[in-house]
Amino acid sequence: MESHDRIAITLPCKAEYVSVARLAASGVANRAGFDIDTVEDIKVAVSEVCSRIIGVAENGSKQYEIEFNICANKLIVNFTSDIKKIDCIFQNDDDGLGMSIINAFMDDVEYCPENKSYMLSMTKKF
Amino acid sequence: MSSELVFREEFSENAAKVIVSGEIDIYTAQLFKEKLYNTVDRSDTDLVIDCRNLNYIDSTGLGIFVGALKKTRQKGRNIFIENIRDNIRKLFVITGLDKLFTLR
Repeated sequence: MESHDRIAITLPCKAEYVSVARLAASGVANRAGFDIDTVEDIKVAVSEVCSRIIGVAENGSKQYEIEFNICANKLIVNFTSDIKKIDCIFQNDDDGLGMSIINAFMDDVEYCPENKSYMLSMTKKF
Repeated sequence: MSSELVFREEFSENAAKVIVSGEIDIYTAQLFKEKLYNTVDRSDTDLVIDCRNLNYIDSTGLGIFVGALKKTRQKGRNIFIENIRDNIRKLFVITGLDKLFTLR
């Protein structure tokens, strides 16, 4: 990965902190230079992933990390967690609404990364 | 109810009206679901949901709207969503729910 700014936030796997993730996503996307509509889109996409992580978190899962990488031509958002290894967090997503939203708002999404440190990665290009 | 979500309801002869303000996400969704389904269960009229002060909704909240619509249509009634903000209308469009609901 080329030279970039990295911002990471670690949150408890609790629903009440998803709003904190949205605030962080808005702040980072704004700082990265996206227009206001795109900032909103990124915020919504990040929130969808956080909700899903909390939804699939098993008892004993303590926290997850959102890592924002501001690169020259894109923003990469990676999600990691101490959740017991789950191949695809959006597996068994019954209504598919969350994935529809993420796919519409982000340029690239890696839903089922293999042999990666993160459980989901998504990219928004400038 | 959480400070992030305010739920108010009004009943008239022709329609039940729900005015929802704040944010509907995974944190507030359960209470929103209980409140909305309760309104649907107690009403035999169409349901109007006024979203003028709804700032944010996620897929969890949209799923609750769909569930409420199913319950309402089982009674032969409909849901009308009013005064929806552009950022939320966008979510209805990309998920295809704008074709399921009457947005006005």
